[in-house]
Amino acid sequence: MSSVQSPYHFLIRRIHSLLGLLPIGVFLTFHLFLNLSAQGGAAQYDKVIGTMRNFPGIFVIELIVIFMPIAVHAVYGTWVVYTGQSNLLKYRYARNWFYIIQRVSGLYTVVFVITHVWALRVGEASFAALQHLVTNPWGLVFYALGIIFAVFHFANGLWAFAITWGLTIGPQSQKIWSYVCTLLFIVITVVGLSDLSAFLR
Amino acid sequence: MAEGKTIRLKIRRQDGPDKPSRWEEFSLPYRPKMNVISCLMEVQKNPVTSDGKVTSPVVWECNCLEEVCGACTMNINGQARQACSALIDQLQQPVVLEPLTKFPLIRDLMVDRQIMFDNLKKVRAWIPIDGTYDLGPGPRMAEVKRQWAYELSKCMTCGCCMEACPQVNARSKFIGPAAISQVRLFNAHPTGEMNKHERLAALLDEGGIADCGNAQNCVQACPKEIPLTTSLADLNRETNKFAVSRWLRK
Repeated sequence: MSSVQSPYHFLIRRIHSLLGLLPIGVFLTFHLFLNLSAQGGAAQYDKVIGTMRNFPGIFVIELIVIFMPIAVHAVYGTWVVYTGQSNLLKYRYARNWFYIIQRVSGLYTVVFVITHVWALRVGEASFAALQHLVTNPWGLVFYALGIIFAVFHFANGLWAFAITWGLTIGPQSQKIWSYVCTLLFIVITVVGLSDLSAFLR
Repeated sequence: MAEGKTIRLKIRRQDGPDKPSRWEEFSLPYRPKMNVISCLMEVQKNPVTSDGKVTSPVVWECNCLEEVCGACTMNINGQARQACSALIDQLQQPVVLEPLTKFPLIRDLMVDRQIMFDNLKKVRAWIPIDGTYDLGPGPRMAEVKRQWAYELSKCMTCGCCMEACPQVNARSKFIGPAAISQVRLFNAHPTGEMNKHERLAALLDEGGIADCGNAQNCVQACPKEIPLTTSLADLNRETNKFAVSRWLRK
């Protein structure tokens, strides 16, 4: 064994895990809860968006707290997907399903987020703009899947986070934590989909 | 015993590492209480396929015949397990035999599991006590600790966990659950603990513990029921503490 070891491999994997929760997971939850304001109609929603967009230094905050963490997590995550080789057909255990869904949902979320940011951040963000997107059935499916997959990726990632950081060690604690993560998945998905339903009226 | 009852084997054959693979089927007269090894021995006595073609005897490895050495590990009906403890009376027919896929193939059902032993060397899965004089007795081990550590010592380096792990493949350097669990075993030992920093440092490397993908197939596939996922999570905690502490002291 060489005495010169580079701990960077370990470090980047741990950073990847940490970024998934802080700030990305927290931002996702905040984002979906904030968008409940769309339930109050176009005027209220556009006012909330306006406030967010005109927040002092919003560009810097977005860059450091949102864009860079997501970019690092997405690029490294794609590499992680490449280094795996699913064997679901031979080993049909629940956790093996989650392993592959975590990867599929991650890749989908990358495509979704790029499209989403391009359409509504680079482009014009307004109630009408999103309404226009989701009145197209394909657009609606794309958005609904985006919400479900992103939240799944977060909730299941949180389950693995507890293992990566050595919090849930035995099978019992991992199982109980999986119930908590399932509950979190259901709650945030319901919030996300009700955001979306506001644009269909 | 029903007259004329047969055992059907479907075996993936390959004459060498770079040769093409092919399927061959064999039919054997049924006898009760056979295992996959005794079937392969019957094939060896009379290497003729079901359609009457004379072929070469099937090559496989075995040693202890009591599921403690791991040498006869192969894919049996799609699952990695030991051929000696795979009882024909409990298997669906035809019994499909294939070599392990995560190791270099030598011939037929025989693979080279050297990488697993290299990985044990990488993580220093031993206790260094050699020296020039008698060091005397080591510290005692608590009985409660000995009990769980004993479970980890049952690992026979068979490769079932490697075969089941989606993170062990040609694109990844992941050393697999077996070697990582051995770090926990040797770090639990009161004398082994004195060198635990060396083993934890090895796990920070590429292919180390960070490459685990939490598919948790390993713990299901392990024939010795070793709590591999518990070892992995425990060592996640230990390597995190070790890495932070080492960096802060730099």
